[in-house]
Amino acid sequence: MIRRPRVPAPEDFTAPSHSPLVTARLGLWLAVAFGLCFGTGLLSHYIQHPPGWFTWPTRPVNLYRVTQGVHVLSGVAAIPLLLAKLWSVYPRLFVRPPLRQPIRLSAHALERISVLVLVCAAFFELVTGLFNVAQSYPWGFFFPTAHYAVAWLVVGALLLHVAVKLPVARSALSTPLRRRRAVRDAAPGPDDPDSAQRRAFLRTSAGVAGIAVLATAGVTVPWLRRVSPLAWRSASGPQGVPINRTAAAARIAVPPDWRLEILWPGGRDSLSLADLAALPQRTAELPIACVEGWSASAHWTGVPVVELLRRAGAPTGRPVRVSSLETDGLYAASTLPAPHARDPLTLLALRINGEQLSPDHGYPCRLIAPSRPGVLQTKWVARLEVLR
Amino acid sequence: MRTVRLLLFVVGSAATAYGGWLLFPQLGTALPWLIGGPVLHDVLVAPLVGLVGLALGRLVRNRLRLAWIAAGLMASATLLLIAVPLLWRPRSAPPNPGLPDRDYPLGLAVGLAVLWAAIVVVLVVATTVDRRVTDRRTDRR
Repeated sequence: MIRRPRVPAPEDFTAPSHSPLVTARLGLWLAVAFGLCFGTGLLSHYIQHPPGWFTWPTRPVNLYRVTQGVHVLSGVAAIPLLLAKLWSVYPRLFVRPPLRQPIRLSAHALERISVLVLVCAAFFELVTGLFNVAQSYPWGFFFPTAHYAVAWLVVGALLLHVAVKLPVARSALSTPLRRRRAVRDAAPGPDDPDSAQRRAFLRTSAGVAGIAVLATAGVTVPWLRRVSPLAWRSASGPQGVPINRTAAAARIAVPPDWRLEILWPGGRDSLSLADLAALPQRTAELPIACVEGWSASAHWTGVPVVELLRRAGAPTGRPVRVSSLETDGLYAASTLPAPHARDPLTLLALRINGEQLSPDHGYPCRLIAPSRPGVLQTKWVARLEVLR
Repeated sequence: MRTVRLLLFVVGSAATAYGGWLLFPQLGTALPWLIGGPVLHDVLVAPLVGLVGLALGRLVRNRLRLAWIAAGLMASATLLLIAVPLLWRPRSAPPNPGLPDRDYPLGLAVGLAVLWAAIVVVLVVATTVDRRVTDRRTDRR
């Protein structure tokens, strides 16, 4: 018998992995992963572009390291979960639209459009995020704004999807996965093979998500540094810490008569490097926690910013703008919010792990503050300006 | 439930609209990367997965063995996907010290080898245990 090839119908897919019981559970897990990604991503966005109502604590010092680590690792876990979920619902792609019934047809079309937006946006976030952590940008758009915008598309389309599927998902989630074969002689029969395969598919999906996390978590979890084969960073690098932007890339030339300028409404002061080194120094163990999810701790030695301001006679407890010798570039300056500016652990560091800062680490001095993204830890500092 | 669904619908529509409005200035360059995922998946990846699954089902009759081999293939595919940006790197910025900081092809190869070795061990142990249980049952009869 020769069968002519045709477009498959949903009924052609008979594997237990396509059961709504599996789909609903994968959907729930994926919602958790995406929820974590969105929440931590939104935090990171607000820390870098704070709206007026937003404050971010300075303690624990590792807070940003943890939230951003959760961000990238939940994204990594979402990759196998998304693929498993799409495989589970793949037969639905071939549902024939109810062409003769205009009302059901429009509902069908709306649902398809919302799912299309969701899948497009979900793939976009995972793929661009994965390339960004490797600092690879094979596209024409600006990553941070596009990744942020599409995150709202994911969340919006996800909520719409939940609104549509809530009745199906609820009944699927309240149906137990384990189903015994019809009981013949009073004793419980062996597992129904379909039920066993459904559970196997779910177990595998969860296990693969775990393997994916294990393979990358070394970027931020110290004891996994040498275990994770696909960690895009580790704690190694010049003076024990990796570098995101070199002095050469930032075109830094430190003038021989470099002085740190301190400005405040109604006053100014300036200090040479020798002046800074002569002040009482403080050493703190603080992480560089990058938006790309990698993080590494180091012992930084320098002068607390709040002490510098106090000695100069500048007001403390206000936001401070920290500017670099770097003239262009997105991260040539950053603003320390008031809680960070008055924190005694916020240092203008001169030394890292007991050595003078190398040019790539920000010589002559750099900002290092607790619980902040690495891009805001301004290097090659030239000026502190107390804002109103 | 109706109120919950209605609320989800309203909030979801608002969030989608906000995302669309934020993305609008970059829509031209982002569009291929938005559409690319689902098209690649639906036209290429999913049919391929289906075909591999069918072939595997014909080749491997033992249910336990099939489940573990399928799991190994899923894990390998995921690791390969995650490795793509690390293995294929069109340079857009000067290289930074500390990045990339390890031999990724070697790490990936070792990772996959460990994964499959673990699966082989599990299958050998499971088969041995299975055989012993069957032997004991036949002894008892």
